[in-house]
Amino acid sequence: MRRVSLFVPCLVDLLLPEIGEAAFALLRRLGVEVVYHEAQTCCGQPAINAGYLPQARKVARHFLKVFGEDEAIVCPAGSCVVTVKHHYPELFADEPDWRTRAESLAPRVYELSQYLVDVLGVEDVGATFGGKIAYHEACHVLRGLGVSEQPKKLVRAVTGAELVPLNAADVCCGFGGEFSLQYPDISEVLVAEKTENFINSQADALVLCEPGCFLNISGYVHRHHPEKKVFHLATLLAGNGKGGGA
Amino acid sequence: MKIRTEQFVEIAREEMKNTRSKAFLGLLPPVINAMRQISLATFPDPDAAQAYGAAIRGEVVTRLPELLEEFERNATARGTKVVWARTAAEANAFVLDLAKKKGVAYVTKGKSMLSEEIGLNDALIDNGVDAIETDLGEFIIQLLKRPPFHLIGPAVNIAVEEIRDLFMEKGILAEPTEDPVALGYAARLYLRDKFHRLEMGVTGVNMAVAETGTIVNVENEGNIRFAKSSPRTQVSIMSLEKVVPTMADALHMIRLLCRNGTGQKMASYISFDTGPRAAGEIDGPEEVYCVIVDNGRADLYDDPVARDVFRCIRCGACANICPVYTKIGGYPYGWAYTGPMGQLLTPLLLGFSGTSDLFRACTLCGVCKSVCPAGVDHPRMLLYYRARDAAGDPRLRSRGRPLKERTLYDLFAWGATHPRLWRQGAKRMRPRVNRGARDGYLSRSVEPLDGWFRSRDLPEMAEKTFHERWKEREGHKAKA
Repeated sequence: MRRVSLFVPCLVDLLLPEIGEAAFALLRRLGVEVVYHEAQTCCGQPAINAGYLPQARKVARHFLKVFGEDEAIVCPAGSCVVTVKHHYPELFADEPDWRTRAESLAPRVYELSQYLVDVLGVEDVGATFGGKIAYHEACHVLRGLGVSEQPKKLVRAVTGAELVPLNAADVCCGFGGEFSLQYPDISEVLVAEKTENFINSQADALVLCEPGCFLNISGYVHRHHPEKKVFHLATLLAGNGKGGGA
Repeated sequence: MKIRTEQFVEIAREEMKNTRSKAFLGLLPPVINAMRQISLATFPDPDAAQAYGAAIRGEVVTRLPELLEEFERNATARGTKVVWARTAAEANAFVLDLAKKKGVAYVTKGKSMLSEEIGLNDALIDNGVDAIETDLGEFIIQLLKRPPFHLIGPAVNIAVEEIRDLFMEKGILAEPTEDPVALGYAARLYLRDKFHRLEMGVTGVNMAVAETGTIVNVENEGNIRFAKSSPRTQVSIMSLEKVVPTMADALHMIRLLCRNGTGQKMASYISFDTGPRAAGEIDGPEEVYCVIVDNGRADLYDDPVARDVFRCIRCGACANICPVYTKIGGYPYGWAYTGPMGQLLTPLLLGFSGTSDLFRACTLCGVCKSVCPAGVDHPRMLLYYRARDAAGDPRLRSRGRPLKERTLYDLFAWGATHPRLWRQGAKRMRPRVNRGARDGYLSRSVEPLDGWFRSRDLPEMAEKTFHERWKEREGHKAKA
């Protein structure tokens, strides 16, 4: 039996626990043994993005201690995976021991859809959804990890779902963490455009693999188009219908 | 040029309301970037061609000092007078002094971002030598006294009616018209006359070939070729990263520059000039000067991350696809360099203290990096700038960040390394954050999230975190 360690991003833990539960339920349903480390907190991405590297190193060391021994770590957030896979080794450029630990961990960390399709070799997870689905190519998932086909394969295999094209699917939604708070005017224009493209796609739901984008887009959609749905991929696939808020 | 980098937010806000700017910017991703992709597809392997460009530029950065010396040697051997200028002031003083010595009333200018950077036009005009921009877009913004809107199309956002009125006012146009061809023709007649009597021309440099001493210019209007071939004295000004090792490298970079910049396989005019008119040649300037401008770059050379900015070839592909640039246009960047490449170069040249918005106003989406033909890793560099700024690096003229922010991240790091307290903290915050929530959503402003709530709702903090839910249901089975 395969065994994975679930890495629950802080945004998911605090604001969107349904996404974590969905990922957990989904992996189990597929016969994977899921371990959850109670000591996990955050990967430190906010500190890296803001430039506070000494602080980020502390958090990264904690992460490496918690997850360091796991065979496979699965996370329903592209940007958190990018942080651990790509930023950690660079963060410890001057600390050879920690750098080795970070480098050894990097290939064991997977974004959820990547793990399902590339490692488990699964596309049809037995989910159902009646309607059209558009897929938002979150920046860190697409350009950070090169993951694009995997989530689309999973969506296409959902019974009753039709994947429809989304104009400018690969354009940033304007979240960018602190960016959305520091530059709300620019952020708003970007999320409004993303939403407009979603509406024009005629899709019933927008699906994505990034909790940050989820907060941004679903927050905008909830205010302006409450009839529309935004789902994290995990929620769609787990088919529990929750955490798809907005 | 007046530096306005500190007004980034205000100018961006204004520009996002400007319908003309919006209309033009809206065309960049679907039209210009589409043309870029079509023209890149003419390479047998576009990805390999881009990677080859990145390798060439990487080599340039690594070998910069020796390549500049090689260029100087070969250019000098062909009769070019190579001049080194450590600062903007030195470069401007040299050109002004030369113009005075030659007794010229004016010089023509080819579009050059370096010229904007060092403020050459003002330095000449303030001292009695007129400087006339001859690229149509640059000519228009010079008359309007506006900064460039776009690296390649400095006046693309200006309305034709405004150009008509401007040309009438300046006596360039005899009868009012909005016909772009007629407007272009009027500018051409006006500028032809300047070229006809030209004593001294000043142009930028796209590439300086080290192995031959050749100066390469890429353009679509022919004005640079005029400025380089018709005067007695020709001055090329270049920032020191414009050098390339070989002619083969230059040719490959030209292919990439045209395709990535304007979606052309080749620009209308590409000039290769090696030294002044030689014995037996029928045309060309009598004297050619090449002013190699440092203006703070050499000091950055020993910074292994920052110096990657010298890879940039100024194609503007990053701007044409940047989600932020394509919403706010070029003015908010506040200086000569617009879009992502400006976000990297401007803070290094002007110092971090007044340019912090440039390296913060980015979502790190990485699309700039994905199109760059020179191998610039913009997100990595921006993160590096933020880190140097948080560390208050005096070499990059950073004043550091507010104590409040630092304390916040100290607290974050402390919390994230103390799981039990992290969870208690979340529990304690919950009732305060969730005050006023309705149907699971917050929609009223809560400090410091005001900007968010102007247009968006936010799910309330979950009644039970994932951790709490897990503990209740699974905790007894799978202790980690």
